[in-house]
Amino acid sequence: MARWFLLLLAAAFALGARAAGPVVTTDEVHAELVAHAPEGVAPGKPVWLGLAISHAPHWHTYWKNPGDSGLPTTLAWALPAGVTAGEIAWPTPKRLPVGPLVNYGYEDKLLLAVPLAVTPEFKGSTLDVRLSAQWLVCKDVCIPQQGEFALAVPVQAATAIHANAFDATLRAVPHEVAGARTSAELVDGAKVLRVTVGGLPAAMQGKALDFFPESAGVIDHAGKPVTRWDGSTWRADVPISPQRFESPSQMHAVLTSAGEAAGVRVALAITGAWPALAPPGAAAATEPLAAATSAPPQPALGLGPGLAFALIGGMLLNLMPCVFPILSLKVLGFTGHAHSRRSLVGGGLAYSAGVVLSFVALAGALLALRAGGEQIGWGFQLQSPGFIAALAVMFTVIALNLAGLFEFGSMLPSSAASLRLRHPLADSFLTGVLAVAVASPCTAPFMGAALGLAFTLPPAQALTLFAALGTGMALPYLLASAWPGLARALPRPGAWMATFKTVMAFPMLATVVWLAWILGQQTGTDGVTALLAVLVALAFALWAWGRADESGLARAVWTGVAVLLLGATLAWALPSWREAHAAATPAPPGEARWQPWSAERVAALNAEGRTVFVDFTAAWCVTCQFNKRTVLGDAQLMADLQARNVALLRADWTRRDAAISAELTRLNRSGVPVYAVYRPGQQFPTLLPEILTTQIVRDALALP
Amino acid sequence: MIMFKPVPVAAVALWLAGSTFAATVGQSAPAFTATDAAGKAVSLADFKGRTVVLEWVNPGCPYVRKHYDSANMQAAQRRATDQGVVWLAVNSTAQGHYDYRSPAEMAAWMQSQQAAATATLMDSDGKVGRAFGARTTPHMYIVDAKGTLVYAGGIDDKPSSNAADVKTAKNHVNAALADIAAGKPVAQAVTRPYGCSIKYSDG
Repeated sequence: MARWFLLLLAAAFALGARAAGPVVTTDEVHAELVAHAPEGVAPGKPVWLGLAISHAPHWHTYWKNPGDSGLPTTLAWALPAGVTAGEIAWPTPKRLPVGPLVNYGYEDKLLLAVPLAVTPEFKGSTLDVRLSAQWLVCKDVCIPQQGEFALAVPVQAATAIHANAFDATLRAVPHEVAGARTSAELVDGAKVLRVTVGGLPAAMQGKALDFFPESAGVIDHAGKPVTRWDGSTWRADVPISPQRFESPSQMHAVLTSAGEAAGVRVALAITGAWPALAPPGAAAATEPLAAATSAPPQPALGLGPGLAFALIGGMLLNLMPCVFPILSLKVLGFTGHAHSRRSLVGGGLAYSAGVVLSFVALAGALLALRAGGEQIGWGFQLQSPGFIAALAVMFTVIALNLAGLFEFGSMLPSSAASLRLRHPLADSFLTGVLAVAVASPCTAPFMGAALGLAFTLPPAQALTLFAALGTGMALPYLLASAWPGLARALPRPGAWMATFKTVMAFPMLATVVWLAWILGQQTGTDGVTALLAVLVALAFALWAWGRADESGLARAVWTGVAVLLLGATLAWALPSWREAHAAATPAPPGEARWQPWSAERVAALNAEGRTVFVDFTAAWCVTCQFNKRTVLGDAQLMADLQARNVALLRADWTRRDAAISAELTRLNRSGVPVYAVYRPGQQFPTLLPEILTTQIVRDALALP
Repeated sequence: MIMFKPVPVAAVALWLAGSTFAATVGQSAPAFTATDAAGKAVSLADFKGRTVVLEWVNPGCPYVRKHYDSANMQAAQRRATDQGVVWLAVNSTAQGHYDYRSPAEMAAWMQSQQAAATATLMDSDGKVGRAFGARTTPHMYIVDAKGTLVYAGGIDDKPSSNAADVKTAKNHVNAALADIAAGKPVAQAVTRPYGCSIKYSDG
C-alpha cells in the first residue's frame, strides 16, 4: 500500500513538476502532442492533432470500448475561438486477454488522431493548443495517468514532420465498406446475437475474423463467437454477456482478419426483443452454480515441465563444487566393486534411494514447518550454526579417514564395522544421504523455478517434485552403475588408489574451510575458534583411537585424554553455536556501496525514480558467493552501475529472516541466489538468471 | 508415482466458469463458501433472509483507493450494515500476484480504512469471483433475501480514478439498496463496472 502511494505520488510529481510542453513521459508511456497541417492552418485545409503514445513493453492503453475492464483514453482540448476538435479516429485495436478477462487496446506505438475544423473566425499567426489527456495504462497492474500538453502550430507554414505517423494511423482506422449487408438477430432467449455480414472485401473472404463490439455492455468479451463462412457471407453466433448493461437497437462492430492493419466497421441493426435487464421478481429456479465444485486452479508452470526442470536441476547438482568430492568417494567405491555387476547395480540403487529419500525427508520437514507458519525456505538447514558445525566435523572426519590417519574398521565398534562390511548397500545409502546434505544449499539453475512451484502445490505433488529432484541427482551415478561398459573402462584397482584417496582428502578440507567461513558469518570469531578447537581435539581423538597396534594400557590412556579433551572443547564450543546472533561482521572493503535490503527501502528508492538491483544472497550459498566474487566484484560493472545511479541492495539470508523469506515467496522463489531489478512504477522486478555474467547484468540494466 | 489431473482440463473448466456460466441478474445467485480474513468459513447460505452486498476489492488498485481514500466505500458499507444488510468484501487476487494480501494484511488494511464490511473474504483461487463473473475492482453485486441476484455493476456512474468525482456521481449501490428497502424492483439492475481487472489466478 505504501509502495502504491509512493508510486502515485512520484507519478503525480513527475507530471506536475513539468511545465506543459508537447511531451509527457512516465515509466510506462512516452506521450507526445503532435500536429499535422501540411497546408498550414486555414479553413478547409486538413488540420490534425494527435496524441502519440509509445508504451513500455507489455503495457497497454485502451480502445474506445475497453472490454471487461480498463478505460478509454480521453482527450480534453483547449483551442482558440473558431477551431473545434472532432472525435478520436481510433485505430483498429487488439484483443488483450488478462486471465479469464479480455480487454481491447493497444501496445507498442499508438497515435490517437483528431481532426480539427477551422472557421474564418480563427485569427492568429500560431494555433495554440492545450490538451489535458487521461489514460489508464495497464500490464498486470493498472496506473491511471494524466498529462497536460501544449503545442504551438504555425499557421502559415506547413507542419508535416509526423506525416508518416498520421498516414499510418488513419490507414489503421476501421473503414466502412460500401455494399456490406448485415443482419443481427437475438436468438436463444437473447443469449446469443446471430450476426451475418456479406459483401466483405476479397482480402477477408474465407479468413478467420475477430469481432470487436463498439458497445461495452452487450457482448461477453471473453466468450468465443462460433463463426463460419457460408459462401461469401460470414456468420457468427456471438455470446451475450450474462451481465449485459445495455440494450441497443443498433450497434457498431469492427471485424478484423490477421495481417490486415485496418478492420472493417459494420453497423448492426439488432432484431428480436431484448429482455428487461432485470426481470422484476423473476427469480428463475435455475440451478445455483456450485462454485465449490469447480476444478482447483493450477499454478502457471504445470507439473509436467516442473518435474522435467527438477530432474535436470538435480542432474546439474552433481557438478556443483560442494557435491563433487562426495561423488569422488563413490568413484572409489566403483573401482572397488568393478568385478561384480550385481553389487554395482545394488550399490547404485541404494545410493539413489538414499538421495531420493533424503530430498523427500528434507522437503517434508520444510513443508511441515511452513505449514506451521515458519518463514523459511530452501537452504534453511544451513541457517543453523549447529548444523554447519556438525557438517564441518563430518567433513573433517572424512578427510582424516581419506588421508589415512585412521581406518573406520579399527575405530567403529565391531558390530557397526561388520554392518558396513556385510552391508555395502547401507554404506551406499548413507553416501546418498551425505550427498544430499551437502548439495541442498546449491540452488542450481532450474531449481529456483521448480522449488517455487513446489510450494504452490499440494504437499503430495510438492514431495513428488522433490523426489524428481533427487532422482535427477542420482541418475548419472545410477546409469553408470547399471552400465558395465563404463565400470570396465575405469582404471584397474592398484596402488594409485591409495594416492587418489589421499589427494581427495584435500577438497574435503577445503569444504571445511568454507563451512568455517559460514559459521564465522553467523557467530563471529568465537564460533569459528571454537570449531577449530573442536576439530583439533577430534583429530587427536581419531589418531588415539586409530592406534590399534598400541598395547592395551597405553591405548586406554591416550583414549582417555582424547575423550576428556574432546568433551572439554565441545562444552566450550556448543553455547557459541547455539543461536546465530547478529554478529556485526565489518563489511569488507568495496562492500560499502551495498546497502542492506528492506522492502521499504526498495519502494523509497523507486519513488525517487531510482532503479534498484537487489542481491538475495547467503554465505552458505556457493553460487551466490561465486557471482559475488566474479560478476558483482567487477570494478568496471560496479562503476557503471554507480554512474547510472542504480541503487544496490543486498538481502542477506545467511540467518533466518522473515522479511526476506516473504519477498522470495512473492517472487515465487524459495532459495537463493535471486537477482532482481526493481524499476520505478513496476510492481514485479525483473529476475536475472542464477548464474550471472557481466553481460546479463548490463543487458538487464541497459548499460553500455 | 501419483497421478495428476491434466492442467488443460482445469483451464477449460475455469474458462467456462469465468465466462459462460457467470451469474445473471434476476436468477439465483451462485452458492459459495469462502474463508474470511479471520479464517472463518462464510457461506452465502448463512445469510438467507437478508440482503447481501458483495464488493470486489484489491487494496493495490487505484480505483479501489479512489473509493476508500474518499471514504465513499466505507460510508456505503456503514449505511448498508446499519440497515441490517450484510456486506461482504471479496478479494480474488491470486497468491503470487504483487497485489496479493495475506488474510492478516487484508484484515489490517480493512481496519486501517475503518471499513464497515461484515466480513472480508479471501478468494485467492478466484472461485467466488469467477462464479459471479466479477471482472473489475471494485465490482458490486447485491443478492436479495430470497437469494436472487438483483444488482450487478459499478459502484457509481463516474468511471474515473479521480476521488473528487464521487461527490457528483450517482451511487448505484445506495440507490439499489433504497429500492430493495422500499420493496420495489431495482431500477438500474445492471450497470457498467469499472476499475482494474481482477488479478485472477491463471486458469
